[in-house]
Amino acid sequence: MTAVALSRRGPARVLRIEIRRSVVLWAVPLLLALFYFDTFRTAAGFPAVWTVRSSVITDHMIADFCPFAAGLAAWVASREGRRKTSDLLATTVRPAWARQASALGATLFWLLIAFLAGVAALYIDTAVQATWGGPPLWPVAVGVVEVVTFAVIGFTAGALFPGRFTAPLAAIGCFLLAVIGLHAAGGVKPGTSTYGLLSPTTNVSLGDVGVFYRVAPDVAIAQVMFMGGVTVALLGLLTLAPAFRVSYHGLLAGVSRAGRWLCVAGVALLAAGVAASVTAFSLVGTAHMGVSGWEIPALHDAASDRPVPYTPDCAGTSFTVCVHPAFSAYLASANAELQPAFAEIAGLPGAPVRAEQVASGDGVLGSQGLNFAGVPKPGVSGTPLVYYFISDDGLSPLWDIPAVVGPGFQQNFLTAFIAGPPRVGPGPDAAALSPTAAQQAVITALMTAVGSPAPQWGEDMGNGGPTAGATPAQITAAAQRFGSLSSAARHAWLAANLPALRAGTLGLGQLP
Amino acid sequence: MNIELSDITRRFGRNVAVDGVTLDAGPGVLGLLGPNGAGKTSLLRMLATILPPSSGQLTLLGRDPRKPSGRREIRRRLGYLPQNLGYYPSFTVVEFVEYFALLKEMPPHLVPKAVAAAVEKVDLGPKARAKLRTLSGGMLRRVGIAQAIVNEPELLLLDEPTAGLDPEQRVAFRALMRDLGQTATVIVSTHLVEDVGAACSEVALMSNGKVVFRGTPEELTTRGVDGQGVGDAPLERGYSAVLAATRSAS
Repeated sequence: MTAVALSRRGPARVLRIEIRRSVVLWAVPLLLALFYFDTFRTAAGFPAVWTVRSSVITDHMIADFCPFAAGLAAWVASREGRRKTSDLLATTVRPAWARQASALGATLFWLLIAFLAGVAALYIDTAVQATWGGPPLWPVAVGVVEVVTFAVIGFTAGALFPGRFTAPLAAIGCFLLAVIGLHAAGGVKPGTSTYGLLSPTTNVSLGDVGVFYRVAPDVAIAQVMFMGGVTVALLGLLTLAPAFRVSYHGLLAGVSRAGRWLCVAGVALLAAGVAASVTAFSLVGTAHMGVSGWEIPALHDAASDRPVPYTPDCAGTSFTVCVHPAFSAYLASANAELQPAFAEIAGLPGAPVRAEQVASGDGVLGSQGLNFAGVPKPGVSGTPLVYYFISDDGLSPLWDIPAVVGPGFQQNFLTAFIAGPPRVGPGPDAAALSPTAAQQAVITALMTAVGSPAPQWGEDMGNGGPTAGATPAQITAAAQRFGSLSSAARHAWLAANLPALRAGTLGLGQLP
Repeated sequence: MNIELSDITRRFGRNVAVDGVTLDAGPGVLGLLGPNGAGKTSLLRMLATILPPSSGQLTLLGRDPRKPSGRREIRRRLGYLPQNLGYYPSFTVVEFVEYFALLKEMPPHLVPKAVAAAVEKVDLGPKARAKLRTLSGGMLRRVGIAQAIVNEPELLLLDEPTAGLDPEQRVAFRALMRDLGQTATVIVSTHLVEDVGAACSEVALMSNGKVVFRGTPEELTTRGVDGQGVGDAPLERGYSAVLAATRSAS
């Protein structure tokens, strides 16, 4: 082995010492505890759908990790100033940037090991429970870049301002930055400013995004580009810092000491980083909502707009209930809820012969009237008639852990059949109206008849709708009256009066 | 000559810490004496390539430290122990010395043996795997000395090296300095004149940024025999006599 080859192992050995003695090791138990109590338990409360479970990486893990990443990196970077080793280190051959690179490398090594171990635990747990799909990698990429960026922010702060308070201030600052990012992300709605999408917390939404359609990586790419740009720019700043530190010698003397090539490299890194971040910033400004989530035209691949092929999982014979295989765990519960309700309405005009889960977008899409090509809207439609339902009704979670459908599932089915599509109030501020008082009473009676608890009705939005003037007590009394009829009598009355009941022209007093 | 200083000055704003020092030194142990604020540490920091001189000509180990290539080569062959040794408490003795050996770009295959030898020389073998946070002040001083000598430097700069050492260790360290001075230029800045008497072949006395005496310890001792100096030891009397003469002249 040549002398040159041997000397090249030097940096690796310095890195090994730094890794062995890294301060991050002290924080790993705390990070693991945070991960378990916040990220892992939150994910365990979500359905075992890959995109839903992976959303905790950007929504919870990053918020937990980043303040620590920044604080610990700042603590490491300020070490030379705090421990007063600057003079001693200044007499060594290896340049300051190489020394700092080793310290930063060791810090990132443990931070990323801890982060990726958390992701692995999350994904292994999901893999055991998931019935369809595979682990999404973009949230992991965004998370890794985010951890690196926050660590570099902290490291830069520590290197430029080496003091005892730099680390806690960097941690607090980065925590506030994450909170501001969360707020910015929460404020992003179609039609508003979309710059908040640069916050990683918007990477994946809940619901069934990524199940019926792939999640477009557009925003994730922009986030990686933005954060990567910030990281590279800060590394450039760190590289340039020694040149400016010899201030009493003047800038030119400083540049001469640090080495001109180092300055050129620093300026190039700074420029490249700023360019990448500015590009990403301008790209997210063009984002708009599409079937695969937020799309950025310049980055978007139209192939991701095509539905993901799948074979639904079904149960039942005369009335079939089908769900997407990603939600197979809920099939038994959904079938158990819908079969008795279907028995009450079987044979009535407009009764569906099948229930099938369809894409819901992410809850925002529906309100935007976004067109899912060939995908029916929730409700009863088609020939033969099919009851189409979504994983989330926009009012309350439909899916729960353990895998049982929520209490609104049966109610939504009967409401879709009895009341039809949601009615919309008059005026420019039109709001969806709840079923009429008579419809509510009938639905309540049918649910009580099959042994389900009486449904909870939301407040009528007013606007002079048909429930105006009807109190909950009156509706309950009418429901009890109608429910006390025999099954055959209820069926016969519904067969005769269903069109008028659907039209909303019947009042409570007209129920038998 | 390993060190050649010609009219070296170092200013900090209006304060002149080192004022036109001209000095040269070859292999051997040179003691740098002087009262607080005399400019010893500033001079040592310039010799350690930490501070550039404000003016004057400085040549170390035959190279110009103002040039990056020269500075790099000097640092490769330099050992330095600062007055206040900074250290990383979580590092072990071996790791700390190895860390500096690697930063001095010693060939990695030579590092383990060199580290072991340096640690043994300062008598820290039994504490080689101990964390620095567990060591006493004297032991930490010895760790600092170990990192300074690990690369077998041709120019060794020691600022108060024996501060905090017990008498036994101090005696051992003087022997080590004499041994290192056989081949290297060792410059020891100290307040302890007995160290100078025991270990140094030459002594330079600084006052107000200037070198006011240069000679052997014996020559310094003779300056105090006429009764001008004060002190318990002959060298102390010589030291105080020179300083008193300098003050009265200025």
